[in-house]
Amino acid sequence: MTSTLDSQDRSDGDRAIFRAYQLEFWPGIIAYAVLLTGVLLWGDLDGQSPWRFAWAVVPVLPALWIVRAVLRHVRRIDDYQRLLLLQALGGGFAVAMIAAVTMAFLEIAGLRVEGVGWIVYGAGMLGWIITGTIAGRR
Amino acid sequence: MKNQLKTLREAHGWTQGALADRLGVSRQTVNALETGRYDPALPLAFRIARLFGQPIELIFMPPDEPEEGQNP
Repeated sequence: MTSTLDSQDRSDGDRAIFRAYQLEFWPGIIAYAVLLTGVLLWGDLDGQSPWRFAWAVVPVLPALWIVRAVLRHVRRIDDYQRLLLLQALGGGFAVAMIAAVTMAFLEIAGLRVEGVGWIVYGAGMLGWIITGTIAGRR
Repeated sequence: MKNQLKTLREAHGWTQGALADRLGVSRQTVNALETGRYDPALPLAFRIARLFGQPIELIFMPPDEPEEGQNP
């Protein structure tokens, strides 16, 4: 019989940490999405204006806010959660590096792929998510 | 490392979440400790010992040592 002591509910502390992270993370994501959309729609990135380079890096500003939110979250979580996060980040980093090197060699071999940066980004994120899920379930 | 954490927690009538709040860690961490997937660092081990009012060596023991109350 399952006892109420076997409850898998998150603790009040877990909820407080998660809430603090969400409050800091989401404004950055929303600002990033808004700026990215604006830049893609009105930034004239494939035009000739020299300003297009400045517009292209504008979404980095809210991305820095997201980095700040993640770093503050890392400081709030405990040692075990930090270990899991480190494993997940390590997995994501490894996948991103392998993807980057693979794409570089394919390019040397003469294969031109559009949006290589996005492929590496996607591979890294996927590696982070998969490694994090596996590490959390072990 | 083996430990008596689950026994002690249940003896106090606490859920994993309640113990996690008392220790200042996540419920996931308490679960990992109880199932032996994670050995705590010394500061957390001392917090656990202080919370249950027992010496660390009565709560945590090497895997090759018999648990408290068991014959060798």
